[in-house]
Amino acid sequence: MATSGSLICVKDLKKHYKGGAIKALDGVTVDINKGDVMVVIGPSGSGKSTFLRSLNLLEEPTGGSILFDGEDITKKRYKNADGKTVKLDVDALRQKMGMVFQHFNLFPHMTILENMTLAPIKVKKMPKAEAEKKALALLDRVGLKDRADAYPIQLSGGQKQRVAIVRALAMEPEVMLFDEPTSALDPEMVGEVLDVMKELAKEGMTMVCVTHEMGFAREVGNRVLFMADGQLVEEGTPEQIFGNPQSPRLKDFLAKVL
Amino acid sequence: MDSFVKMENFATVAKYSSLFAQGLLVTVLLSIFTVMIGFCIALVMALMRLSDIRPFRFLGIGPDGYQRESGALAVISRFNPVSFIATAYVEVLRSTPVIVQLFIIYYGVFGIFDLPNFTMFGFIKFPRFFPGVVALGMNSGAYLCEIIRSGIQSIDGGQTEAARSLGMSKVQNLRYIVLPQALKNILPAIANEFVVIIKESAITYTIGVQDIMSAVNAVRGAAFVITEPLLVATGIYFCLCFPTSKLIAYFERRMSHGDKR
Repeated sequence: MATSGSLICVKDLKKHYKGGAIKALDGVTVDINKGDVMVVIGPSGSGKSTFLRSLNLLEEPTGGSILFDGEDITKKRYKNADGKTVKLDVDALRQKMGMVFQHFNLFPHMTILENMTLAPIKVKKMPKAEAEKKALALLDRVGLKDRADAYPIQLSGGQKQRVAIVRALAMEPEVMLFDEPTSALDPEMVGEVLDVMKELAKEGMTMVCVTHEMGFAREVGNRVLFMADGQLVEEGTPEQIFGNPQSPRLKDFLAKVL
Repeated sequence: MDSFVKMENFATVAKYSSLFAQGLLVTVLLSIFTVMIGFCIALVMALMRLSDIRPFRFLGIGPDGYQRESGALAVISRFNPVSFIATAYVEVLRSTPVIVQLFIIYYGVFGIFDLPNFTMFGFIKFPRFFPGVVALGMNSGAYLCEIIRSGIQSIDGGQTEAARSLGMSKVQNLRYIVLPQALKNILPAIANEFVVIIKESAITYTIGVQDIMSAVNAVRGAAFVITEPLLVATGIYFCLCFPTSKLIAYFERRMSHGDKR
């Protein structure tokens, strides 16, 4: 049910390729409320990442709708409050959604501080001194203040991902999207990244997280989505999903990963 | 036995040293202007080649609402006229000799309308110099275009995704994220192209631009020596090209601070 309290309402979202022969997303309907920590799990190829990337339009859906703050972002043109047809400002939309990638995607030619201040300065037109002050405060929160002048290559995977998270936070997004944030990390570095994410969840940040970390899903998530074959198969609290799975697909999946 | 090179002939060449000095200046100016024109053309062409402008995109949507995968309509819907123009430009200029292009520009294009007839520095004839720069610039633009395009395409798509997800526009992404990294990757290829431009500028002596090669020719005509002025020209060209490639190698090292641990 679409309620007015939802931050993002996804309705019948579809992403089809090759004339409909390949259905990466096949009718996903879900509401994301403010403060939700939604964890998306499922076997590989189930459309989890496509779903996440559709939310900030890195993937263009071929059908359905996504309402963000009540505005349909899948329409390139829409009528605004005055009844005028205006073009959807994708850049403005993406500022409200921070995204963290599996492979960090830090900018290798810039220092950590420059990585974090570029978008606030160029996109939000924040004064440089203010942007740097904010960036350093954020870096301090994840224990990397002393690495501000280092280049990404000088950091470990876990450090890079922590930087990537605070780089997205520097834009003060309303929701954070995580696309398998720990999948490319060495096992001993997974903890430090998950800790940052837990911290974030505690502060009430709305989060959508595609992950294979079942422990994280159980501990931090308040809602868990299980996807398979481009469809939302089961949704519920972590207790329901992990403790009392209903569908055979989910039971089968949990038997393999737990 | 006659030796290959006679020392006294160098003394003859020395009498014409002012010609070589003028030639050196002409070659340097030719190269600088060529690089500037070539680089501008190349950047525009590279962006045109990478553009996504498909005016007939709507024809690719089939009656079922899905993208057509095959057939004439699918081909037409993928047609990008902007990219096509740039590709055609590159392929034509790369597949024809420079001297043909130079003659077409000089005799053909600039044969029709008159260029202002003045001289720069008292010895560079503008009506000959300008067509030379245009022809060389257009030619190197085609090669530099391919270098820049490959450089842009060498950057991981994740970089663009990260930039766009932070709210940066396409232009900001290109300006701050993609081009700086691409430039670093293509510097060796650019150094190569700059050196080629310096050397290739010698061809403009065929339309009467008084560069280093034309000084060689003048000495040959006046003093009947050829090997020695050619050796002098060889030395001058080497002294231009070698430092150029070294200079770019220096910039390459300076830009690589992101790759060192």
